[in-house]
Amino acid sequence: MLEALSLNGKTVVITGGGTGLGREMTLAMAKAGADLVIAARRLAPIEEVAQQVRAIGRRADAVTTDATDTESVRLLFEYVIKEFGKVDILFNNAGIVREDGPKPIWEITDESWKKGIDVNLSTAFYCSRAISKHMADRGSGKIVNVSSGYGFRGGRDNYMYAAGKGGIVNLTRAMATSLGKYGITTNCIVPGFIPTEITDPDSERSRQRGRFIPIGRTGVPREMGPLAVFLASSASDYMNGEFLVIDGGGLAGGIAPTGHAPEIPLNI
Amino acid sequence: MEIPEGWDLTGKKAVITADRRGWTKYYAGALAEAGADVAVAGSENSDMLEATKYVKNQGRMGFTLETDLMKRDSVNSMFEQAAEKLGGLDILVNNAKVDFGKRFEAITEDEWDILMNFNVKSMFLCCQAAGNKMMAAGHGRIINMTSDLAVRGLWNSVASCAAEGAIHQLTQSLALDWGRNGIRINGIGAGWLTTKNQSEENQKELLVRYLPSRRRGHPSELSALLVYLSSDECDFVNGQTIFIDGGALAHA
Repeated sequence: MLEALSLNGKTVVITGGGTGLGREMTLAMAKAGADLVIAARRLAPIEEVAQQVRAIGRRADAVTTDATDTESVRLLFEYVIKEFGKVDILFNNAGIVREDGPKPIWEITDESWKKGIDVNLSTAFYCSRAISKHMADRGSGKIVNVSSGYGFRGGRDNYMYAAGKGGIVNLTRAMATSLGKYGITTNCIVPGFIPTEITDPDSERSRQRGRFIPIGRTGVPREMGPLAVFLASSASDYMNGEFLVIDGGGLAGGIAPTGHAPEIPLNI
Repeated sequence: MEIPEGWDLTGKKAVITADRRGWTKYYAGALAEAGADVAVAGSENSDMLEATKYVKNQGRMGFTLETDLMKRDSVNSMFEQAAEKLGGLDILVNNAKVDFGKRFEAITEDEWDILMNFNVKSMFLCCQAAGNKMMAAGHGRIINMTSDLAVRGLWNSVASCAAEGAIHQLTQSLALDWGRNGIRINGIGAGWLTTKNQSEENQKELLVRYLPSRRRGHPSELSALLVYLSSDECDFVNGQTIFIDGGALAHA
């Protein structure tokens, strides 16, 4: 059972692997033995993570990519196949919460809507489309999407993220159903409130929000590591179209104060 | 091999409930492989003895405790003995389950009661008994083995679906009650599993053609997730039922 968790010899492509949760997942997979191609729009953060991977003793290539641009995606995978010969695992981690703050629906522009859906949903589709045939031809592959608690519930003034991450949920199911027969599994990590320097620079405010989470704290990016390794490894081969929620109990009913209820004596 | 972070149960003490399905050994063996000592509790008809062999094969302490999982006194006594012999209690795996299929109108009152008592009430009794010890220690992990029937219907399966639905909700709600006591409760939802060899003939079976992964699973394919959910590192996953079913729910 434990041997199945090794990623020795595996090649992983991860979008948005330079920052936040992506960074922790990248490093954990490297420790488990994988080589990594880390793709994002800005080179500096992904090159920094790549160096950390090399320090662990694995190969890491940082490739600037705009995953909303299908030509850029094509070039990314062309590079990976040329350099590594194969892709075993794809992590569709690229996404953004909000670029310009919460807005009432009537203030959201066409451009803002399209961009939000593009980054949060289309990137996963474009990257998956680009590499699926290769995986099918090899008879094996794993695709891991990253959704969010907001993929399963609404949030205030958070339309593109909710719709995009919600789309990821059913895209995961559609891909799992369609690609399973080729030996490709598609699953989805659903992080809850795990603040990073990017999403929540105000750490005091983050701590306050931990009050509403059933276990009394927000998550820590490091906790994503074992989950990433598990989903990338053959230990999860029979998981397909599944959702791994890591949120301290939020989606179980805990987040809003409605999760609390008084004691009521039993009287038939 | 060095145990990866998230899969190290060295020094942990686990109780797992057994039944007649014969799969307890895979889960008990996996817990032991990761370093835990394991007590296996069940009736004399259960697979508990074989399960302890799998534990001992990994070089860990394993023993049986004959228990009527439907009776509070028996369950409480079992946990007392288990905790004493193990030297503590970190992990509870609620694995015992009886399968049952019948058109709803033919189900007898006895059948309904026995199914609910063996599949659901046993979990209530075990969680309470284990929970007392875990709350005193300020730490614990509970994993409820369930199935796709927790969230979907199925022909001839009203009683089983109702039971698994109850388990699904128990998992979610108990995670809230005990969230601040250091205890995490999660579930693993199995799809269609078999321990038989899956030959080409099997693959023509309608069910298998329908499953996106084109095959049934083997119970051992749940083990890695079970060990992770039992670990200290798995602290932010709580109240969740994670399904392993080859895509059955995604397609349905």
